[in-house]
Amino acid sequence: MKRLVLTLLLGASVLGGLRAQDTKGYLVGSFESNSILYSADDVTGAQRPDGNFGTNNYLKADYYAGGFSAGLQLEAYQPALVGYPGNLEGAKLTNYYMQWTDGDFAVTAGTYYDQFGSGILFRTYEDRTLGMNTAMMGARVSYHYKDIASVKALWGAPRLGMEAAPETLVRGVDGSLSLSSLLGMSGTTLSLEGSLLNRYEPVSPIVEELGGKASTTGYSARLNFERSGFLVKAEYVDGGEKMYSNPNILIDGKSHLVKNGNAQLLEMSYSGGGLGVNISARRMEWMESKVSYGSSETNNALNYLPALCAQYSYAITNLNPYIPQPGTTSGHINSGEIGGQVDVYYNFRRGTTLGGKRGMKVNVNFSTYYNLKEEGSFVPKTLLWRNVNVGVEKQLSRKMKMQLLYSMQEYNHSHGVGKGTWLSNIVVADLLYKFTPTFSTRVEMAYLTTFEDQKDWMSGLVEVNFAPSWSLFASDMFNHGDTKIHYYNAGFSYTAGRTRVALSYGRNRAGMVCSGGVCRLMPAYTGGNLTVSTSF
Amino acid sequence: MKKMLFAALMLLISSTAMAQIPSVKVEDGKGKVVNTAELVDGKTPMIISFWAVTCKPCIRELDAINDVYLDWIEEANFRVVAVSTDDARFTAQARSLAEGHGWSDYTLLYDKNGDFKRAMNVQFTPQVYVVDKDGKIVYSHTGYTPGGEYELFEIIKKLQ
Repeated sequence: MKRLVLTLLLGASVLGGLRAQDTKGYLVGSFESNSILYSADDVTGAQRPDGNFGTNNYLKADYYAGGFSAGLQLEAYQPALVGYPGNLEGAKLTNYYMQWTDGDFAVTAGTYYDQFGSGILFRTYEDRTLGMNTAMMGARVSYHYKDIASVKALWGAPRLGMEAAPETLVRGVDGSLSLSSLLGMSGTTLSLEGSLLNRYEPVSPIVEELGGKASTTGYSARLNFERSGFLVKAEYVDGGEKMYSNPNILIDGKSHLVKNGNAQLLEMSYSGGGLGVNISARRMEWMESKVSYGSSETNNALNYLPALCAQYSYAITNLNPYIPQPGTTSGHINSGEIGGQVDVYYNFRRGTTLGGKRGMKVNVNFSTYYNLKEEGSFVPKTLLWRNVNVGVEKQLSRKMKMQLLYSMQEYNHSHGVGKGTWLSNIVVADLLYKFTPTFSTRVEMAYLTTFEDQKDWMSGLVEVNFAPSWSLFASDMFNHGDTKIHYYNAGFSYTAGRTRVALSYGRNRAGMVCSGGVCRLMPAYTGGNLTVSTSF
Repeated sequence: MKKMLFAALMLLISSTAMAQIPSVKVEDGKGKVVNTAELVDGKTPMIISFWAVTCKPCIRELDAINDVYLDWIEEANFRVVAVSTDDARFTAQARSLAEGHGWSDYTLLYDKNGDFKRAMNVQFTPQVYVVDKDGKIVYSHTGYTPGGEYELFEIIKKLQ
C-alpha cells in the first residue's frame, strides 16, 4: 500500500509542479526541538534514560500553489523524552502528502488528519505533548455542494509510533446535509450528519471462534441546530463490535469477550449579551477503539474520548485530572460511564455595580461522572469525578490585574473499582502588575487542602516580563502535608519574531506547565530543558 | 522512491513567494463553514491570533488587545481574527468563553479539525500573525508576554 501511495504522490507532484508554474507558490515550515538533560534525583525518584539525555525533534514543511499543496514532516527521537510512548524512536520521514483543491472538490493522497463529528467514532490527530500522531496513510476525497451538502470518503492505515499500522485498514464515509440552507431558512442553522466507519485487522482463529471478527463497522448520526445564540448538538454513536480480554478466563474458558460499543452526546449552549452557557452530557459504553490490537501505548487510539470537565492551567489544580472510563475488563468489569458538565461565563460590563470601572469576568464550572450500574444501563452507580470551579478576573487598576480561582475536586482514585474518593479544595491567586506598558511581573500563589493521599500542597510562582522578548520565572510547588518534596523550577524564554528559545531547570511532576506565555504538558523528570521552536 | 519524492518537492519549492493566508475551511460561531481565504478583503489589515481554552497566555493576549481595541481603532483601521484551535470537545466552551470575555468586536473562528492551524504551521499557542490587506503575512510571533500587544500595533500602523 505504501508503494501505491508513493506512486500517487509522485504523480500528483508532477501534475502539481506543472500547474504551479502559472501560479506563484509559497512555502511555510516549522521546526521544534525539545531536549532534556536529566539529572539523578533520589528524592522524587525521577526517571532517566540511558545517557541521561532525551530529545524530540520535528521538522514540518508545506508548499502551497493555487489549489495545490504538498508537505512533509520529519521526526527524530534520539532518544525520546522520558514518559513518551515507547514506539517513538529513531529518525524518519513520518508524514508526507499531496492535496488538490478545486473549489468544492478536494483530493488528498498520503498522510492526513480527519475526524467524524466530535471524534467519538473516529479521529486521527497530532498532539506532540502527548506523543500522539495517528495520521492516516492513504487517500481522501471530499466534495461540498454549495452550502447545502458535503460528503467525504477516506481510506488508509492509521499511524502507530513511527509508521502506519501494517495490518490495520480503515475505510470511512461522512456526510452532512444542511436543511436550513436547502429550505432557505434565515437566522437558523439546522443540519443532519452521518458517518460510517469500517475497521479491518486480522484476528487469530481462537478469537474468531469466540465471535470476534476481522472486519467491524460502526456508525454515527448527528444533529446540529443554532438559532439566536442557542446551539444544540446531539450525537448517537454505534461503535461496532469490540474485543476485550476476559478476566474470567479460568471460569468460562473464553479468552475474549465481544462487546458492542455505543455512545450518546448532547450539547446545549447559549451565548449572547456577555453570557455564555454550555451544558454537555455524555454516556459511553465499550467505546475504546484502537489503531492496532497488539499495542498498549497511549498513542494507540483511533477515536477521541476526552474528559468533559473543567480544564485547568495551574499545576496544582492538575494533580489528579479526570480520566474518562469508556469501558474496561482489566482489574474489574465496567462497561462505561455517564455524566456531564455545566460551564458558565459572564462578563460584568464596565459601569455596572459588580463590573465597576473596568468590568469583571466570571466563570463557573460544575461536572460529575459515574460508572454505569450495569451493561446497557443509563443509571449511574459509583462516583468517578466531581468538580466545582469558580473563577473571577478583574482589572483592579490601570496597572494591576487579578485572577482568583476556587476549585473543589472529588476524584475516585480506583477509577470505580471501589467507592473511595479524594476530596480537595484549592485556591489560586494570580496577580499581574505592569510597571510600564512593556515591563511587568506576575505572581501566582496557590494552596490545596485535602485529608487524603499526600495531604496539603502549596505553590508559588514569580514571573518577570520584558515584552515582547524576555520572560524569566521561578516557581516552587511544595507538598508539606506528607512527602515534604519541593518541586522547584526556574528558567527564561527569549522570543524574536517566530523563533522562541526557552531554557529551564527543575523538578517536574507530570502535568501542565505554563510560563513565558506558552503552556504544555510535561512528564515527570528532574533536569535541564531546552526548547527551540521556529517557523518560516 | 523517497529520494524522487524529495526531488519533486524541491522542484516545487524553487518558485516560492511570500507566505499568505491559505484557503481552508473553518467554522464561524454559528457552525457555518467559512473559507479562510475570504478573510482577505483588500482594504483592512488584520491580527490573526490562534488560541485555545486551555491556553492562559492566549486568553490574556486577546483580553489585552480587547481592552485597548476602541482606542487603537481610532488611530488605525484593522480587524482582529481569533481562531480557536480547540477540538470538537471544547468548541462550545470556546464560544462561551469568547462571549463571557466580551470579544464581540473580534471575528471568531473555530478550527475544529486543526486544518487552518496546520496550514499556517502553528505549533505553539499563542501564535499571532499580522496580515496586510492583501493577505500577505508580514509578521508573526510565538508566545505572549504582557505588553507584547504594543509591538503588533506598531506594525498595524505601518500598514495603513
